[in-house]
Amino acid sequence: MSDQPLLDIRELQVTYWGRSGLSMRRQPFHAVKGATLTLKAGETLGLVGESGSGKSSIANAVLGLVPASAGSIRFDGVDLSAMKTHYPGEVRKQIQAVFQDPFSSLNPSMTVEDIVSEPLRVHTGMNRAERRARAAELLEMVSLSAEHLSRHPHQFSGGQRQRIAIASALALEPKLVVLDEPVSALDVSTQNQIINLLYERRDALGIAYLLIAHDLALVHHISNRIAVMYLGHIVEEGPSDRVYSAPAHPYTKALLDAVPLLDPEKQRLRRAARKRAPPNETPRDVSSGCPYKNRCRWAMARCHSEAPPMFAVEGGGAASCFLLTDPGNTANNDKLKESATQ
Amino acid sequence: MLRLVLQRLLALVPLLFIVSVLTFSFTSLLPSDPVDLILGDNGTQEQYEMLRERLGLNEPLVSRYLDWLGKAVQGDLGSSFFNSVSVTGAVMQRLPVTLSLTAMSALIAIIVGVAAGVAAALRPQSWVDRVATIGATFGQAVPNFWFGLILVAIFAVNLRWFPAIGFTPLLESPWQWLRSVTLPSLALGLSSSAAVARQVRSAMVGVLQQDYIRAARAQGLSARRIIIRHALTNAMVPVVAIMSFQITVLLGGALIVEQVFAINGLGTLAIAAVRQQDIPMLQGLVLVMVGLVVSVQLITDILYGLLNPKARPS
Amino acid sequence: MTARTTTHRARPRRLALPSASQVITGAAIAVLVALAFMAIFADWIVPYDPLRQNLIQSLQPPSAQHWLGTDDLGRDVLSRLIYGCRIAVLAAAEATGLAVLLGVPLGLFVGYRGGWWDWCVMRFVEAIVSIPGIMVAIVIIAILGAGLHKAMIALGILYSTSFLRLARGVVLAEREEVYVRSARVIGASDGRILLRHIFPNIAPPLIVQITLTVGAVLLAEAGLSFIGLGVQPPDASWGTMLNTAASYMDLDWFLAIPPGIAIIVTVLSVNLLGDVIRDSIGRGIAIRTEPSTPSVRFAPTARETGQSDQAIAPGPDDVLRIDGLQVVISQRGGSEVPVVTDLSLAIRKGETLGLVGESGCGKTITGLAITGLIGAGGRITHGAIRLDGADLTALGQKQMVSVRGNEVAMVFQDPITSLNPAFTVGDQIAEVLQAKKGLSRKDAWARTIELIDRVGIPRPASRANAYPHELSGGMAQRIAIARALSCNPKLLIADEPTTALDVTVQQEILDLFRDLQDEFGMAILFVTHDLAVAADICDRIAVMYAGEIVETATVDALFARPRHPYTAGLLNATPHGSDHTPPLPTIKGSVPRPGTWPAGCRFANRCEFVEERCLSRVPLAGKDTRLVRCVRADELRLETGR
Repeated sequence: MSDQPLLDIRELQVTYWGRSGLSMRRQPFHAVKGATLTLKAGETLGLVGESGSGKSSIANAVLGLVPASAGSIRFDGVDLSAMKTHYPGEVRKQIQAVFQDPFSSLNPSMTVEDIVSEPLRVHTGMNRAERRARAAELLEMVSLSAEHLSRHPHQFSGGQRQRIAIASALALEPKLVVLDEPVSALDVSTQNQIINLLYERRDALGIAYLLIAHDLALVHHISNRIAVMYLGHIVEEGPSDRVYSAPAHPYTKALLDAVPLLDPEKQRLRRAARKRAPPNETPRDVSSGCPYKNRCRWAMARCHSEAPPMFAVEGGGAASCFLLTDPGNTANNDKLKESATQ
Repeated sequence: MLRLVLQRLLALVPLLFIVSVLTFSFTSLLPSDPVDLILGDNGTQEQYEMLRERLGLNEPLVSRYLDWLGKAVQGDLGSSFFNSVSVTGAVMQRLPVTLSLTAMSALIAIIVGVAAGVAAALRPQSWVDRVATIGATFGQAVPNFWFGLILVAIFAVNLRWFPAIGFTPLLESPWQWLRSVTLPSLALGLSSSAAVARQVRSAMVGVLQQDYIRAARAQGLSARRIIIRHALTNAMVPVVAIMSFQITVLLGGALIVEQVFAINGLGTLAIAAVRQQDIPMLQGLVLVMVGLVVSVQLITDILYGLLNPKARPS
Repeated sequence: MTARTTTHRARPRRLALPSASQVITGAAIAVLVALAFMAIFADWIVPYDPLRQNLIQSLQPPSAQHWLGTDDLGRDVLSRLIYGCRIAVLAAAEATGLAVLLGVPLGLFVGYRGGWWDWCVMRFVEAIVSIPGIMVAIVIIAILGAGLHKAMIALGILYSTSFLRLARGVVLAEREEVYVRSARVIGASDGRILLRHIFPNIAPPLIVQITLTVGAVLLAEAGLSFIGLGVQPPDASWGTMLNTAASYMDLDWFLAIPPGIAIIVTVLSVNLLGDVIRDSIGRGIAIRTEPSTPSVRFAPTARETGQSDQAIAPGPDDVLRIDGLQVVISQRGGSEVPVVTDLSLAIRKGETLGLVGESGCGKTITGLAITGLIGAGGRITHGAIRLDGADLTALGQKQMVSVRGNEVAMVFQDPITSLNPAFTVGDQIAEVLQAKKGLSRKDAWARTIELIDRVGIPRPASRANAYPHELSGGMAQRIAIARALSCNPKLLIADEPTTALDVTVQQEILDLFRDLQDEFGMAILFVTHDLAVAADICDRIAVMYAGEIVETATVDALFARPRHPYTAGLLNATPHGSDHTPPLPTIKGSVPRPGTWPAGCRFANRCEFVEERCLSRVPLAGKDTRLVRCVRADELRLETGR
């Protein structure tokens, strides 16, 4: 158990076949193009990227909702990718999920008791009374109470619904919970309540989280490691603090820089330093070279012909950028750091 | 544009294939032997065998199907079991009658239905809306043939404005044609306009709640422009789809309404064919009707593509 | 929308009389119960044998002996009508039952299974649907033979296609729902997902479809019997009675009335019942979404307590001045609830004012109130909205139309849906220029290309011909901004314009707003829930909570030293910038809904500094632009923890 990761994703690819318009031919869309990630038991891996980066596809592949088209996913030593989307019960009960939209993730026709105890019903031999007792216990664990058991989801606010979803996900005390944008549909004051709850539960139960989010700052709060995705590729990965404070990939830096600061003065300075570039038009598919080359201000000739592999980064982790290999590596890194602090 | 039409035509192939198989399989599904039906009780075994041979009933099913299909594609739908009349001929003779009835009632259904639906959607809860809603609710409950009977009682029997029965071909006398189709078309069209009005209203109400309508209002465009250009264009997208379905309904309704007005259209032909279990005639009728419906669908699909940029092939 | 009254009275809507819809429902149910009664007890209640002929008394008008007269064979019409009920009930039950039993399981199966099964079955259904229904029935009758039960089997097969499509549609829609994904993650089997998770959601539309089908079956049965393929004479059904009537229209038109009315009333009752069911289901799931927060006593508004806020001193450059705005919306049941109260603010030329707060605080409705677009159900009850001195609340609809676009324009949250999907983006900008500025088509198009270029879109001439769905969110928002600025408005209202966009795109759009403001000089009212975005774009900020402004300040002052506990709480809770590890700071509870606001300070039940004084209304007080609605503002030192 010691050093073997709980979740081991290697060269994962996820491809969707969709029709565009009325076209009869199905066209492939490569959502994930070779992602390698590991997650240790009891730790949190934050997976960050903008819409369309493929982060949710990784979540869906781990959950067995979409099949992997290439590569492997190993969970606790078991090869999940070989099972396509048909996980046996022992695996299923170890991997649970909380999804983004608390309004559509709870079945409107079921009561809270049904929702929270559904996993118990599927995977355990508990009788009705036992399930009910456990459901009440779970609700109290997420700061709701047993009196909510007989209510329907529409009687709850967004934050409360997300608590119910968390209670259901934790019912079987899984080893891994995939959190797909768990707070992005919530109000600011409710978001932190949910983050705190997730953090506290992780420490109490020793669960590992795969946390999918678009907000690096938020991910940084509770992740041990962070991976950054861009157009189906993992462009940077490393310990949370290092990625957040000393990003090595230009895209990670751009993401961090784009988040406005809560300080108008600092924000003004940053704006002044910012070069007004033409708007980025993210291509859906980049055939050769670095996926980020079209938006990168440091793009070199090499970036257009060759895809950069992952290079180790000082302070832990790796990033796929040729800046990290150049003789002038340190100078470039200084350049990156300089604008990061602005 | 051409690609859209071709794509649509291509999509019809499986549909037409299934319809042809279904239609053809009537013969084998029939509980009674068609040869017995034709010969009646006093046919000899010899006559029976001869007729079976002549009708090709001894061939294997697949080759009978291909033979029938090949002829059907060339416009030969066989001949009636009973009077040996060519099915194609009989159907084509009646087709203009039913077509003019269907077309006229479609026109009435569209004009009345769209006008009432839009008027109701523009002012929800107003008296216009209430009248339209009540009218549509009643309209959907009234059997079109009963409505036809009432129209006959009022306008033909009492007022004598229109003929009570019969049909005059358009080419014979346009005026008499119009007089003869008015009452049946009204009976059929007004009944159908109720469904159209309801659907237009809900499509329109849905579109009026869209963000882009709010944005257009925030932009200070006039109410008229927003309704006609922005809302109607989008509301017509579902309405066009509805109309293609309504034409099918109208065609079916015409079969019954024809009986009220003693019009010799496809309906009369179909009813006679059922009574006599005249299979070739029924097969022919189904194929011709599907042909009509599919043509209308093709036109509406193309219209749909014109109205809805998302549905166009890129 | 602009109707105003000087006093706001809450109208009690608890009337003892039943509403119109209750009357209709009651009547419909009564009709159907009567129908069932007559169908069951026909043998006992008919005055005559429905088949007994009496040729001497044929075609009699209604009389004391024969209430509805007699038919061509002298049979009693009333008795035949009552027996017709039995046929109608039987027909509806048989055909609808068969349709449900055939259609629903098959639809569920192919919808969930998908793939080839689905493809084949759906092509088959399409084939049936493309043949007129009555023709399908005629063909099936040709196979089975005429007669009531055979005709009903025909109709059952025919209508099973609509149940099949309904069930399949529901499954296809539901299987994409997140809760079905959740069920799969839990490990529920396919059968369990289908039966336990998806099937309960099919019940509401199924009930509606059943009522529609019953109505359709009744009409179709009458039609088939009318043409002689359904119920066979001499049995009495409403359709065969009409068949008889049709032959005697010139002699005795009354014969057509009783069966006709019977059909209409029955079908009408069934359809109305279906409508009522559909409406009540819609209400049950879609609208009844209030969370179960304990309802607090209805809060009096400032006007009612006589404690109005001090008016904002007018400035010479003010483009927009709002004074004491109150907006109410009517809830289900008709009672009106205030959503914005006593709101006053001013924006100077070239200034950006941020309106900040969480969802449900009344930010968006304030923006819509300025443009007169609150929509049905909402109205302004108090206050003035002055644009360059002219009160917009006093303008009529026509005048407001000319104000919008020319003087005030708006940009919305979702750029793709706020553009019309049916037209090219260039078309939508040019249209505004033509309609509002009177430009010719050619000039409008040239100016459109200029504008598209101006908002930083590469290759503007070809992009003008794109449809909204062909653009990315960022590009579409640039188009929406170009359109909003096309007539050079004095005030631009931007309602969460970057919320739906990725952060890197958000940054570009914020830069664009700033550049365009330098060039066009318009004032901006920037509505956002994100304080960090407000820190970037705004000159001044007004923080809203539960329908009122709780604090206003210049952007620097607000972030340096928030004075209202809510502002401080929001600042602390915003993830950007702070690098705590959990527990992260939170504000307990959630924003109260309109109508459940506390009576005193509306933040009191969530505030950690609450004391006795907070339980009565608190005015917005302070100097110049630095206003705060907190009685303890002067004594509190609020930490923002950064």
